[in-house]
Amino acid sequence: MKAPRRLASLLFALLLGCAPAGLAEPLAVIAAAHGPLDKLAPDTLKRVYSRKSQLDPHGIRWIPVNLPAADPLRRAFSLAVFDALPEDLEEYWNIQYFQGINPPQVLASEEAVLRFVAATPGAMGYVRAHLVDARVKVLLLLPIPDLRH
Amino acid sequence: MALHRPIAPALLLPLLLSPPVQAGDGDGTDYRLGRGYALGDSGFRLGGYASAVVAAPRNLPWRFALKDLSLFVTWEREHWRFFSETEVSNALSAGQGQSLGVHEAEVEIERLYLDYLHDDALALRFGKFLTPIGRWNLLHAEPVVWTTTRPVATYLLFATNDTGLMLHGNVPLLGKRLEYQVYGGLGSALDPKQPDNPFANSIGAHLNLALTDTLELGLSYANFRLDENHAPSGTQPSDSLGYSNITVLYPVEFPDHDADQRQNLVGLDAAWSYRRFEVMSEWVFRAGGQERFWQGYVQGVAPLAGTPWYAVGRYEYFQQEWGPPGQLGVFGLALRPIPPLVWKVEYRLGSHNEAIAPDGLYGSIAVLF
Repeated sequence: MKAPRRLASLLFALLLGCAPAGLAEPLAVIAAAHGPLDKLAPDTLKRVYSRKSQLDPHGIRWIPVNLPAADPLRRAFSLAVFDALPEDLEEYWNIQYFQGINPPQVLASEEAVLRFVAATPGAMGYVRAHLVDARVKVLLLLPIPDLRH
Repeated sequence: MALHRPIAPALLLPLLLSPPVQAGDGDGTDYRLGRGYALGDSGFRLGGYASAVVAAPRNLPWRFALKDLSLFVTWEREHWRFFSETEVSNALSAGQGQSLGVHEAEVEIERLYLDYLHDDALALRFGKFLTPIGRWNLLHAEPVVWTTTRPVATYLLFATNDTGLMLHGNVPLLGKRLEYQVYGGLGSALDPKQPDNPFANSIGAHLNLALTDTLELGLSYANFRLDENHAPSGTQPSDSLGYSNITVLYPVEFPDHDADQRQNLVGLDAAWSYRRFEVMSEWVFRAGGQERFWQGYVQGVAPLAGTPWYAVGRYEYFQQEWGPPGQLGVFGLALRPIPPLVWKVEYRLGSHNEAIAPDGLYGSIAVLF
């Protein structure tokens, strides 16, 4: 799945009018600085954000958070993790909703993600890597297209 | 609610004993269509779906109904998760020679269960749940399926709900994830609202393996008795109207059945999806005493380029006791202008299908809320 995912990321950058000049600043998947986890496998990240995994290895409920569906970072994250844009996942979430599973909650900004993740056991989010500070720690770095231009 | 009085207190007890919710959990109070309404930080979320159906079978009276009005209540905290679906069926109905009214309205609890999640590999469920046989039955709601009519193979040979205990979870297998459900029915005594076709003394299992991101395979097994006088046996309904798979519009009284005879059912199912394309199939075989029945379907869905319209086609095959095997073709269109909302229209045509799934035109509108 790596090749299609990379292709999709580059196409996404083109759609945004960005020059696909290689991968820029990575996206940092973060958890609270005092949390028990130090790293995360990409497959686990995918299962947490699809809510197939409910509890972390320590028995704490995962609380993944997303940025709004229109946010370029959310769209890049969705492509990197699911090889699909948020709107392509709506059918999946309809089915999950019918089965009593709700999608990750949405926070308005990267700063809101940092604050929430820092204060909430089990919470996980993503921000641009240069925004990471002492409140949180990085579990995984995801390469994404440069979306800041 | 008088219904489910025996199990409701047991299910609600952990909710009452749970600690307060940490700040920020949940989605706040924002409401979004199709994703429900979170009650602040309580951990509760309300939602549901509604559907209205028009059926015009070729040799039967036309019918209209506000078929489903279902309310979901979900709650989750740490290792616990609660879910209920309370449904008002036929809240409004009308038909040929019958004025619009509420005379056919019924309230039923479709699902009511509590999960204890030990970890991702093991969870215990207690309550009333959808029987995990195949795929359609687990996601049968109008807003998430592609046709108004329901494949015969997804409801006729087994009970669509069961009440009891279930172990479920997902485990790694050969580099993939295997989802499993193993259950045992505790009998209809826990379910005062008798369904049309209850299991008795059931045990069963369903396995689902995601081979790739786009392909899943499933295997079902169930062993059960059919409650006396409520047997879905594939036999001809005694009601001269027959019924479509819109069973709430065309109800059927199942014939008497040998309640001592245990039934064995095995099923295979598969689903492939890529972008907006989808192919799904499931087949079940049930054997008990002298009876043997095969039933199944294959369904394909394709988007109509650049539009929210989808073309849907389905082939069905079902063996039945009183005559040659029935076959059906279903051809339809579905419109999804926004994800939680779907309009559907289809024509169904078949052979030896008059009693179970009559030819005709069927349409619906459904929305998750």
